[in-house]
Amino acid sequence: MTSENVLVEWLTQCWLWLTQNWLHIVIPLLVFLAAYVVGLWVRRAAYRAFNRWAARGRWEGSKLVIETTRGAFLHWFLILGAFLAIHASGLSAPTKVLADKILATLFVVSLTWVVASLSEKVLRLYIAQVEPLQPLERLLVNIARAAIAVVGALMLLDIWGAPTTPVILVLAAGVLVAALAFRDLLANLLSGFQLVQGEQLKVGDFIKLGSGESGYVAEVTWRNTKIRGLDGNLILVPNNRLVQSTIINYGRPLKKASKPFRFYTRLCLKELTGLKARNLKELLALLREVPESVIYFHTHHFLEQHHYLIPEPANDFALWVSDELGEETLGEKLASIDTFEFPTIDALRARIEGVISDYLAQNPDGRAVSEGREFHFIKSISFVLPTPYVAHDLREFVEVLRQISLNSLNYHVFEARLRLRKGVNDFSAWIEDCLGDRDLAEKLAYLDPYNYTLEGLRSAIIQLIEKRIK
Amino acid sequence: MQSEIRLKSKPRLEDYEPIVSKSCIEELRALARKLSGKVVQIINSTFIGGGVSEILGHMVPLFNQLGVDARWDVIRGDETFFEVTKKFHNALHGEKEKISPQDFALFREVTKQHLEELSFYGDIFFIQDPQPVGLVAKKKEVGRNWVWRCHIDISKPDKRVWNFIRQFVLDYDAAVFSAPNFAQRLPVRQFMITPSIDPLSDKNREIDQNTVDSVLTKYGLTSNKPMVVQISRFDRLKDPLGVLEAFEIVKKAVDCQLVLAGGTAADDPESEEVLEEVRRRANGNRDIHVLLVPPESDLEINALQRAATVIIQKSLKEGFGLTISEALWKGKPVVASAVGGIPLQVKNALTGLLCYSVEGAAYHLKRLLTNPEYASWLGQNGKEHVRQNFLVTNQIKDLLLMFLAIGLPGKSSDVVHL
Repeated sequence: MTSENVLVEWLTQCWLWLTQNWLHIVIPLLVFLAAYVVGLWVRRAAYRAFNRWAARGRWEGSKLVIETTRGAFLHWFLILGAFLAIHASGLSAPTKVLADKILATLFVVSLTWVVASLSEKVLRLYIAQVEPLQPLERLLVNIARAAIAVVGALMLLDIWGAPTTPVILVLAAGVLVAALAFRDLLANLLSGFQLVQGEQLKVGDFIKLGSGESGYVAEVTWRNTKIRGLDGNLILVPNNRLVQSTIINYGRPLKKASKPFRFYTRLCLKELTGLKARNLKELLALLREVPESVIYFHTHHFLEQHHYLIPEPANDFALWVSDELGEETLGEKLASIDTFEFPTIDALRARIEGVISDYLAQNPDGRAVSEGREFHFIKSISFVLPTPYVAHDLREFVEVLRQISLNSLNYHVFEARLRLRKGVNDFSAWIEDCLGDRDLAEKLAYLDPYNYTLEGLRSAIIQLIEKRIK
Repeated sequence: MQSEIRLKSKPRLEDYEPIVSKSCIEELRALARKLSGKVVQIINSTFIGGGVSEILGHMVPLFNQLGVDARWDVIRGDETFFEVTKKFHNALHGEKEKISPQDFALFREVTKQHLEELSFYGDIFFIQDPQPVGLVAKKKEVGRNWVWRCHIDISKPDKRVWNFIRQFVLDYDAAVFSAPNFAQRLPVRQFMITPSIDPLSDKNREIDQNTVDSVLTKYGLTSNKPMVVQISRFDRLKDPLGVLEAFEIVKKAVDCQLVLAGGTAADDPESEEVLEEVRRRANGNRDIHVLLVPPESDLEINALQRAATVIIQKSLKEGFGLTISEALWKGKPVVASAVGGIPLQVKNALTGLLCYSVEGAAYHLKRLLTNPEYASWLGQNGKEHVRQNFLVTNQIKDLLLMFLAIGLPGKSSDVVHL
């Protein structure tokens, strides 16, 4: 038999088979084509509706969904068409089962690819908006990819009849161990996400924690929130702790001062002058010649030494005259001299001299104390040091005021006005000159600091400023 | 001859923050930075026993923690030398002492030996009390910044001894006294720096009630009656017999007990005699407890002070009297004689009550025992007063300022911007 004859014979048989079984071919083919056409139609309708929804701006990731799923959507209808076609065909049952598994495998692979791709794009979209997560972008994308791949693999194993339970158990144990090992990390990560997404904190906000720390939010990282304290130090607070603590968020800074207020402190050293008085005449004579720093010491040291105890304590001269000389009338007159009235130490000295002179004029025969009970003139030497604290606005100012030492308060309120001859306390001067708030500056200037204990004075100033901030 | 002291571990600077505030410690650190690179050489005559070595033992480690290179050396001398310096010490206190020309000669001779033996490496020399005062002879060779710290009340000194010591003091750049009335007129700068207590030492730290109770049990004491306590050496100058008299007056009106606790000094033969006299006087009175407390019983002293209802210090003469600050630090109301440095610590009717006689002491004791609220108010004020003025951190601050003050060029202003 020639080759031509063989071909003719084969074609004849084919034609014969086709004439007998044409329905077994045409019907699956039609089913497949119908599925394809339906797929095209459904895709068109579905994406049109989805586009309309997306156009209303409901979700910024909608474009990503369309881009990623558009091609795959048709593939899934083709797989569906193939599935229906096979089942409409006259193939044997085992062949159909095998074909189902192959089609399911193709579907799972396609679906896994699409879900992984979509997850990656959505993650990148969101991470771009959350600064603390940006360093973790690659890690998070890889974790998502791996998780989806694992789920896809498990589905494939299930399709092909392989046991999945042990794999799931191993994976669950692994996840649990990892979660335990990195629980703090995860807690901080989630807390950071919560802080930023919940808009509880923004970089630049001024916050105060329940634990007392305060300052500006400098950065929110995936583990910590960095707070720039008013002393310039950086405070790192784990996000987890931050979420659990009470936070007062004052928001953005108030009006900035034209020049910041630098807080200073001053520490005093007592220098003995070697001068001492046994009676009023000697006291008066020495009062006239001692330096200003001696007058300042004896009119302020009791206030400083017993600041916790008595507002407006008597000056040392009054105490000595009453307690040691027993001249109680003069002691009372000296104690009632209001230091706040005097703009300079020399004016204060003149008043003390005047009171003693007047008394001596009427009582020339004053008593003298016994040896060991003399009035010793002591000089106060002030050492002024800058502190790390600087305030740029009233809120910062109040927060620093809560933290500074009483020495610092003493310097800016008492020493600045009288000893440094500024005529007004430093706080008032700054508020008027650098913040332009004349009203508040005047209130602070008229506040008589001698009427308070030092802590009481701190509270009074804070209250005045807080009232203004509100 | 030179011994640089190795110091046992001491509290950290941070441990003081809850007591004196963080800002206070920050200020100390800021001051200390200004002395960076300077070596402060502290020299005294002993590193064991006595108030000065106790204070230095607390302060030097804190200086070092602040970054100030403070080093502590001691001079040595034989028994004869220290007998002479003991006589000088007493004479400067105003007591009558027989001091011969040979004593002065011996002092000069031993000082010469010290000058040869000691190494002078400091940028600031901080000399404690009269024993090493003559070391200032080295000033011409090693430079300025010499400070003499006098812990003694020299308000009424033996003129001969003071004039002898004074000639050395004149070469110093500054002298430091504990109270204004302790000082003398001198042509050198004089600073007032009060001594201090360490709130974290065994004598002053917080202790629990169980410890207090165990000490009371050890000495056969109970807290069933208000307790008046005087802690001091058995010394006539501490007037224990006056305390007994005052107690007897108080006892007629208030049912209370008295504890006189202290030690005897090996170098003071009279103390045994005083102790016997006190015991004889107290004999038969079950509410009077005379306790001989061994040296190094700081925790027990602490417990007795905390168990007290009122603490009394009826001294006839006193140095600075740091025992008052120790009592005030426990938040206890104090009745004390207005002598030495006591009035600096007890502001009458504000941080305690001052007395001038046995009757006055009895009167104040009765007031406090029958007015617990007033007593408590005074006690709390007293504690705050010590916190502000007589803690070791305060003394460190003053010393740092003084070191800075003497290092300033020329005649400095009274307001110094660092």
